[in-house]
Amino acid sequence: MLKIPLRYHLRSLYVRRGATALTILGVGATVAVLAGVLALEQGFATLFSEGGRPDVAVMMRPGATNEGDSIFSRERGEALIKSLEEIAVDGNGQPLAALESFLAVRLFKVEGGETNVPIRGVQPGSFAIGGAGLVMDSGRTIEFGTDEVIVGSSLTSRIQNCRTGDVIVLNTTPFRVVGSFSADGPASSEIWGDLDRLGQALERRSPSRILARLRPGTDLDALAERLENHPTAPAKVMGEAEYLSSQTAMLSIVLTALGGFLALVMGVGAVFTSTNTMLAALAARSHEIGVLRALGYRPLGVFLGFLLESLLLGLGGGLVGCLFASFLSGVETGTTNFQTFTEVAFAFRVTPSVLLSAVTFSLALGLIGGAWPAWRAARLSPTAAMRRG
Amino acid sequence: MIPLRLARRNLFRHRLRTLLTLGSVATAVFLITVLRPLVSTLDAGVRQAASNRLIVQSAVSLFVSLPRSYQEKIRAVDGVEEVLKFNWFGGYYQDPKNFFGQFGVDAENLLATYPEIELLSGSEEEFIANRRGCLIGDGLVRRYGWQVGDAVPIIGALYPRLDGEPWDFQVAGIYHSATSNVDNGTLFFHYEYVQEAQDAGAAGGPEGVGVFTLRLAPGADEMAVMADVDGLFENGPQRVQTNREAEFQAQFVSMVGNVPFFVNSIGGGVFLAILLAVLNTMLLAGREQTRDAGVLKALGFTAREVAGMLLTQGLFLGLVGGAMGVGLALVAEPALLSVLGNMFPGYGITLMAASFGLSLALLVGVVSGLAPAYLVSRTSCVESLRAEI
Repeated sequence: MLKIPLRYHLRSLYVRRGATALTILGVGATVAVLAGVLALEQGFATLFSEGGRPDVAVMMRPGATNEGDSIFSRERGEALIKSLEEIAVDGNGQPLAALESFLAVRLFKVEGGETNVPIRGVQPGSFAIGGAGLVMDSGRTIEFGTDEVIVGSSLTSRIQNCRTGDVIVLNTTPFRVVGSFSADGPASSEIWGDLDRLGQALERRSPSRILARLRPGTDLDALAERLENHPTAPAKVMGEAEYLSSQTAMLSIVLTALGGFLALVMGVGAVFTSTNTMLAALAARSHEIGVLRALGYRPLGVFLGFLLESLLLGLGGGLVGCLFASFLSGVETGTTNFQTFTEVAFAFRVTPSVLLSAVTFSLALGLIGGAWPAWRAARLSPTAAMRRG
Repeated sequence: MIPLRLARRNLFRHRLRTLLTLGSVATAVFLITVLRPLVSTLDAGVRQAASNRLIVQSAVSLFVSLPRSYQEKIRAVDGVEEVLKFNWFGGYYQDPKNFFGQFGVDAENLLATYPEIELLSGSEEEFIANRRGCLIGDGLVRRYGWQVGDAVPIIGALYPRLDGEPWDFQVAGIYHSATSNVDNGTLFFHYEYVQEAQDAGAAGGPEGVGVFTLRLAPGADEMAVMADVDGLFENGPQRVQTNREAEFQAQFVSMVGNVPFFVNSIGGGVFLAILLAVLNTMLLAGREQTRDAGVLKALGFTAREVAGMLLTQGLFLGLVGGAMGVGLALVAEPALLSVLGNMFPGYGITLMAASFGLSLALLVGVVSGLAPAYLVSRTSCVESLRAEI
């Protein structure tokens, strides 16, 4: 079978460059919207998944789904840390674990309006556990026993009074910001202070979770099962990664559903557009098709050729869409983590998988949009086609 | 004047193309019309808030409870008619997926403070008399089919019972609120039911009251009441902030503050995509009708009249496609409501959204009609007649 040279199709697209450009841009806009939603989902999910340390466990009250729900009595928490063989120890034999408290406090954004910022009461163990990529960007870390806080780097420019040297008043107690830090994961959107000092200021003395580094080789599932049925201090144990990804589940579902809905509806519109363009191309070129057929090209060749042209339109649209979407990459935005009602800052991430989905989607649009015109082109009889044109 | 028939005949010259173009306009207008109300339902609660109610909440955090003793102190403030406890319960029915708002309130004052809550069945006396009684919105009746007299077991995620059993509420009445500041998917129960269990050591969870709703006496000075209440607890133990109901509701809107931005970006992409699609079709049509235009001009029709014929075709595509899109949105409304109703109570295709969608379609029609009209009116009669399509 004779294949129609690729150059013929490229030139055909070029000859009708006005229609080609409009179609490509139209498909591009569709693909860009889809890629934007996917990039948002990726940004949020990656933020939470990259913060999960493999050998760190989170322990909460049984039945709690997040730190905001969870309350532990202090004595039980301390007893639990002492009694667990699985918790790793530092050089002095101290367990690498910490009690932490969590509260969403009302603070004001720099651009106006209120938001809920997570404030975390920490213990020396929170830093000793390590591995969270925690780095001080400016200032120093807190001194335990004093009214000092350090602020995650995502907050410094977005929330009022969050720069080093500022003072944040919690209830009636002023806390001095002594430094800012960055860390992997959502901690970059948190404020950290001494568990005891914060507990006193906020009238909330009970911690909400235990964070612990486990000895290498610990069977997390077995530990979880044992503590669930613990007689005096039952607890829900999760790996940190598992905990963090459970926090994004709801938003991921919403965004994936939104993306799917948009892809379906806008996809239908885009298929109509590319079908139109290809039908117009067909109408204007029936004479040429007749000539091609007379030259000995088979109907299948014509069919595949036209389909290829439509795929090229789709591919062009996909590339343009990816280009549009790539402007979004790295743009910081904030959204509420609906599990704890706190605001989390994260960036759009146009990952290879986002780009791949976008291009695949655009090729599918081209394929579906081109199928019917290509079939019609292949069915033209050579004589009729030449006579018509 | 060129007869309208000519414009119509031209549209029907390529029936398939016209249909496909109408289809892409319709899908785009459909999307814009269904997405648009997400923004407006979001702040419906703010717009419809009552002006004679103030909300007293912790100045520190939405998640910090106020001492119960505050109620009497607030009631003693000049200009305050009644004070109602309003406490977030945060439980779920059977599975965390079945999530809706539950609030512990002072049963005897609920309906007097919120006159917009109208009982559809059951009675207020029944609700007040039964310590386990609850009022449920008609939205919950649609979701779960509960009726007056039914038992509703709710698992207390935030207020766990130590015996591990769910809380047992009994439906004493079904309500409907005509305004969006009270959600129709909420369960109201006796604050005392849970509090008594906590006092008896049979249940956990935070002590105290989430917020107080305060009803102003007629003619009371709102600003003075707000200042007086805040002043009462200036030095702790928990500082409070008293807001108008509208401002209180606005906090929740600002939490999901990026929704308008997302909806507008998506809408922008969709708009661009249809504009290009219709423009493409109309430019094709304009090109094909170049020779016709020449003939018409030769017959003595003015360039403006010829341009008008093309503009009419563009307008037709915009308006009819737009109307189809709005129609589709109205057809899909019940299905969308069942999916979105939980997150966006009161979601519905508003007149505003429908007219917005139609206006955009009209705009697309005008722009895409003007482009070929301009090209044709610039081409001289002789050139047009000579044109090869």
